[in-house]
Parts: sequence; C-alpha cells; structure tokens
Amino acid sequence: MVTKTDVKPRPVPKPTPTTQEFWDGAKKGKLMLQWDPAARKYQFWPRANSVRTGRRNLQWKTTLGKGELYSYTITHVATPGFEDKTPYIVGLIELDEGVRMVANMLNVTPETVEIGMRVKVAWEKLNDDITYFAFEPDKAANRKKRDRP
Amino acid sequence: MAGNFLADKDICIVAYSETKIERRGGRSAYEIAAEVAEGLYRKSKLGPSDIDGVTFTVPLSECSNPFWSGYATEYLGISTSWLQTTDIGGASAIGNVARAAMAIKSGLCETAMILGVDAPSTQWRAYYGSYRNEFWDPVGIQGPPGAFGLLMNRYEHQYDLDFEGLGALAVAQRNGAIKNPNAYESLRKKITVQDYINSRQVSTPLRLLDSVMWCDGGNGLLMMKTSRAKKLGLGNRVYPISYAEISNFDCANQTPDITATGHSITGPKALRQAKLKAKDIDMFHPYDDFLFAVMLKTEQCGFAKKGQGSQFLRDMDLGPKGDLPINTGGGQISCGQPGLAGGGINLTEAVRQLMGEAKGRQVPNARNALVTGIGVIPYGRNWGSANAMVLVN
Repeated sequence: MVTKTDVKPRPVPKPTPTTQEFWDGAKKGKLMLQWDPAARKYQFWPRANSVRTGRRNLQWKTTLGKGELYSYTITHVATPGFEDKTPYIVGLIELDEGVRMVANMLNVTPETVEIGMRVKVAWEKLNDDITYFAFEPDKAANRKKRDRP
Repeated sequence: MAGNFLADKDICIVAYSETKIERRGGRSAYEIAAEVAEGLYRKSKLGPSDIDGVTFTVPLSECSNPFWSGYATEYLGISTSWLQTTDIGGASAIGNVARAAMAIKSGLCETAMILGVDAPSTQWRAYYGSYRNEFWDPVGIQGPPGAFGLLMNRYEHQYDLDFEGLGALAVAQRNGAIKNPNAYESLRKKITVQDYINSRQVSTPLRLLDSVMWCDGGNGLLMMKTSRAKKLGLGNRVYPISYAEISNFDCANQTPDITATGHSITGPKALRQAKLKAKDIDMFHPYDDFLFAVMLKTEQCGFAKKGQGSQFLRDMDLGPKGDLPINTGGGQISCGQPGLAGGGINLTEAVRQLMGEAKGRQVPNARNALVTGIGVIPYGRNWGSANAMVLVN
C-alpha cells in the first residue's frame, strides 16, 4: 500500500515571460489560450511565436474550458506526485477552440472513461502561485449527447 | 522530384561493429566507443589515422557535454576534417549514413566512421526544455509509454487493433534475440503470444512487453567511396541507395489525426527513390521503441493496408525465412535499447544480413533491406523524426 510519505513532490511549473499570463489566468480559474490574429486560430502549448506565421503577435484569450476526450491512457506506474493515485487517467483533450491538451482526468474511473465524452476544465491548486489544469466529465453535456437521437 | 544523391552506388558501407548489450555495465560511452572502433579497424584493416570523418548520435549519458564530438574523437585518437553529432535520437543512425554520404561526396572527408554509443542505464544525464517543465512533467503521464498509450488507444478507437498481432511480433523478435549473441542476456529467453498478452499494463493499452528496456552498448559503421573500397580490397560492401527524412510532420496542425506519422511520407518516398515496391523488400528493419511503432510502419511504408497492421503481423511469418523478416536480430525490444544508440541496432542488423554474416538467423538471398528511424516524442502526437533508408548489397 502507498502511504502519504511515499508520495514524492509533484513537479511544479516554472513560468517564463511568455507563459506567465497562462498561469495568472489559471490562478483565477480561467483557461487561457494563445490566439493568432492572422490565422484566426488558437494554438497550444504557449510559445513566443505563431506556429503558422512565425510572428510574435499572439493574443491571450479566455476559453470556455470545454471539449471532447480525443484519447486517454490508464497509468499504472506513477510519475512523481501521483504514487497514491494509481491507476489514474491521463487524457488527450480536444478543446472546442481547436487545440489539444494533455491533462489529468478527474472524477472518472477506468470503467466510465470513454473516447468522445464531453469534458470540462477542473483545477488543482499546487501552491500559492500555481493552479494546474485538469479535466472532468461534463455531466450535463454528456446527458444531452446521450439523449440526442 | 528532387534527384536521389545515393542512386549511383558510389558510396558504400565497408564494415560494421557492435558490442554486446549490457545493463548497468559501468562503462562510459567513451569506453564503449573504443570497443566499437576497434571492431571496425579489425574488419577493415584500417586504423585511427585512416579515419578523417566521424559522426555520432548524441548519447543520453553524455549529452550534458557540449563538446562531446571533440572529446570522444580525441579519446579515440582520431583527427578529422568532418566531425558532427546528430541529435534526432533513434533516427540519427540512418540519418548519419546519409549525412556521411553527403560529406564524402562533397569531399569533406574520405573515410567516415558512424558511431552510436550510449550508457544510460549506467549514467543518465538528459535534460529536456521547451514545454516539458510546464505542460508535460506535472500531468502524471508515464513518459514515452504514456504517449504511446494515448496513441494506441486512439488507433484502437479508429481501427481494429488485434493484440495477438503485436504478440506475434514480440515472439518473432524474441526468437531473433535468442539467436543473437549480442542481445542482452536476460532477454534471450523464449516468450509466447500469451506471455505478451499477460504482461502487466504500464499505460493501458500499452503493456510491459510492448516496450524497450534501457541498456548500455554501441554500434558503428565505416563508409567511403566505392572506388576507394575497391582499391583497398574491401570486398563485402553494402550500399545505401535511397533516403528520406522528415521532422515535425504536420506540426502546425493543432488537431491532427495522430495515427498518421511522418513515415507515411518517408517510407513510400525511400521506396520510390530506390525504384522498389514494398513487396520487393526482402527484409524490414524498423526502429522499434514500441511494438506498436513497428505495426504502424508496416501500414505506412506500404506492407499492410491502412488499419490492418496488427492483422498483417498476426498472419505473416516474420522470421528470417518467412514472408517478411522483421528485426531478425531481436530489434531493440528484445536486444535491449542502448540509449539513443538504439537506432543502430536495426541498422547494424540490416548491414550484417546484407553482408551474409547473420549465421543462424540469416535471411536467405537477402538483396535489400528497408530500415527506419524514429526520434523524439512530441506533445500529444506520435513521433518527431521519421526517416527511412533502402540498403542493397
């Protein structure tokens, strides 16, 4: 059995001048993405440049924090900070804004997780500076999806 | 289409060398390089003073040294007019064959040594920048097995993934390692498809026996102009005749189909340039960090139909005398992966086979081989560098 003392510290992000706004938003419960005004598209993960035009003209926008589970994996061998959580689920989420994010899936089990399920952002406070994004099933949206003929 | 700079067979491989794979052997990459180089000298009757070009694969165990190439060649006693280290991971091995061919053709050097040497199970010195600290390490994903878990699960959602097919590949490669004295000794034991199916889940649907094990070891080749090899009496020659490389395939696309990889471009391109079809290939030596990568490449290089790679592996005889011999020496999965020198395991076996020196696992009348490489695992996709090379004898 894994006890609390066996859990190693979970890695904590060190923001850079480019990513600071993402983490400032996360602290307030806002999932922010970089918007490329020329391509009129979003991109993730945060960079100093647009991956489409190479220009450094990206703008931060707040997303609705909702999307669909594109894929997932059930992790049996924990990485640091997750020793007491196995088996746990890491998802590849496709946000409605048109980007994918790798994130922890909360409030879902290996029995109930499903590719294509609707998900919404959830937050985990790592310390006073960093609140980390995760996702969980969007129950209302999944119910609506099921009821649709 | 751009011309194929390898088509005229005026560059050749004249010798190969490989160490036995060890785990936590204690030797450094330098000490392993000395053994590989000595093997090349013995086979070619050349010495350090005859070598004037060297290219390395960056080793995990030495990558914090910004002057690795210089330190390592000084250690070996080699003075060069062309020297470099390539950092496209497991794609560096065949990538270096192409780079050495270019260097020789352009007159930068005459005799090139291609070295992959690494000891990550003894000494791990890798650091990754970019998005890793903020967007990868904190989410609890189990590194490359986690990334392949995501990839395999998506493939299984879109197509039909028959795990018995992956198991058949595991068994075929293991049979190769049993006949390969250079394979890591603990892996030279028979397994069954059921052993594969029953092996423990690491990052579902990826199992333990889907994966490589970090080990130590090295491999290398000697290359020169064919005219020079003839003059030196080096009669057993292998020719690279086509090469294609892509890094960061479709990378600006933020919502790609992650089951499409760079090999869907480079596999067919290398075959086209060699004027061969997949069915003309005598043996396939694909980079195998995970069984699933081999499976996807059987589809994307044109051996199997899209979405039917696992059924293909299940139904074909993959042994040295079979329908399509794959990684006949065991590959990295059954030899052990000597860090980033791992790409050389697949390449060395192809060269050994084409020189007719594979003994108990020789592919009869092997005339050609398709070899592939994979380098780096990008964020939420498949693999970063995807290259392919056709070799003939």
